[in-house]
Amino acid sequence: MNTVNPLAHSSPLFGRAVISACLAAGLLSPVQAQNPLNALQQLLQQGQQRQQPPARNAPIPGGANAAAAGLLNLVAPTATPAANAPAGGAADLIKLLSQSLEQIDQPKEIEIGRQLAAVLLGSKPMHPDMVLQRYVNRLGRWISLQSSRPDLPWTFVVLDDAGYNAFAAPGGYVFLTKGLIDRVGDESELAGILAHEITHVTEKHHLKALRKSAQSGLLAQALTSQLSGSLGAGLSSQLLAMGRDVYSKGLDQEDEYEADRAGVALAARAGFDPFGLLAALHQLRTVAADNAAFTLTMSTHPPAQNRMDALEAAMGNRLDALSGKPPVALAQRLGR
Amino acid sequence: MAQTADNFVVKRATELRMAPGDASASAGPLAAQTPVTRSAARQGAWVEVRTAQGGTGWVHMFDLTPAAGAGAANSGSGNAATGALRGLSNLFNRSPAQASSGGTSTVGIRGLSAEDLSRSQPNLNAVVQAEALRLSADQARTFAADAKLVTQAVEPLPAAPVPNR
Repeated sequence: MNTVNPLAHSSPLFGRAVISACLAAGLLSPVQAQNPLNALQQLLQQGQQRQQPPARNAPIPGGANAAAAGLLNLVAPTATPAANAPAGGAADLIKLLSQSLEQIDQPKEIEIGRQLAAVLLGSKPMHPDMVLQRYVNRLGRWISLQSSRPDLPWTFVVLDDAGYNAFAAPGGYVFLTKGLIDRVGDESELAGILAHEITHVTEKHHLKALRKSAQSGLLAQALTSQLSGSLGAGLSSQLLAMGRDVYSKGLDQEDEYEADRAGVALAARAGFDPFGLLAALHQLRTVAADNAAFTLTMSTHPPAQNRMDALEAAMGNRLDALSGKPPVALAQRLGR
Repeated sequence: MAQTADNFVVKRATELRMAPGDASASAGPLAAQTPVTRSAARQGAWVEVRTAQGGTGWVHMFDLTPAAGAGAANSGSGNAATGALRGLSNLFNRSPAQASSGGTSTVGIRGLSAEDLSRSQPNLNAVVQAEALRLSADQARTFAADAKLVTQAVEPLPAAPVPNR
């Protein structure tokens, strides 16, 4: 996707603003040298040379902001406060993401997911249909029970958006747009899509993407304009920038193919027609290229035809025997 | 879906089946490249199609590929035929300038976009609301029992292509 990066900014004047903001946010505490994060390191070091650090305990502008508070929790929700106190949240976040994924424990993973979920829910609200929300939670929770991580706090949300898309966030958050719900042919298609998203969570695909984003230097670039625009944005700016980036640009394409393969098997394990995801792709591949309801889906995923070809190669005819069930319309489940 | 969305061609020579499944009686052979129109009916891997001659029957989803003009820009790349189809479809699509004119799109709905994300201000209150809808494992099992969903043993699918179809 050729998304114009709305966060990029070239004016050198903004450098100072960023540095001030970094100071205010406690970013200039000792940061360990981490090669992939040179850009941010340099930014921070310049700041230290030019400016006197303000009092560490100065209130963070916008600190009452719920997202910033959440991020503070993220830093060490269970660790000893003493170990955490001088380091400041955002620097730790970078450190966290540059570690191996195994070192991000489940509470931290869930907290990162909450922050990303907040980004998605900040761009589109929950759909008001509570019957639909409950149905999607029943369906999704049942499928998640057959996954490799049945004990995550799985949360399924229908976004009030007429476009066609689905998203996931670490720790068990899965989002579907109302436009997608309206377009699926039957329950097995929805199950296939949910199983694809659940696989993104169980395989930590978003954490991988966030780490890549942190290592690319985009983070420093994002900080430049984010903090200059609103100094009060506080500690959540980094994760906000990365969240916007990962949902705008999408995941690694290989991870999408993996989510397709594992998603088909997962939906089948949960007792659904294994061809549900394929049926959804069958529809997706015939969508006109300029249909704006599908723009982000298409730009962030491999072409639907390629995905079907890959699934055909992986499935062959070995799941055909599980595919004889009569279709169940969503309306049947929703009592309409 | 647009009209063109239902148009497919047969990818490889097969049979038009009277009912879903390889074991069903044949309604006649379908040569590769035969154009067919899909109906909304599907059972598992099998979809109902109509031929230009008016015959109807069932074909395996894997034996169909989109016809020219039907979302060709979303089709796979890497072969000459697809490239040709994409070129053809451009004749029917609107120009990029028209396509990017935002709210005036005749296709209609504009979905959640990168622009929406770039303007997003995190809403943790909404996350808390969503979390209130979480269900327990037992609640999910009750749903599955009511819906007569039964778990199946399914091996993981291989990552490497397995050409057995």
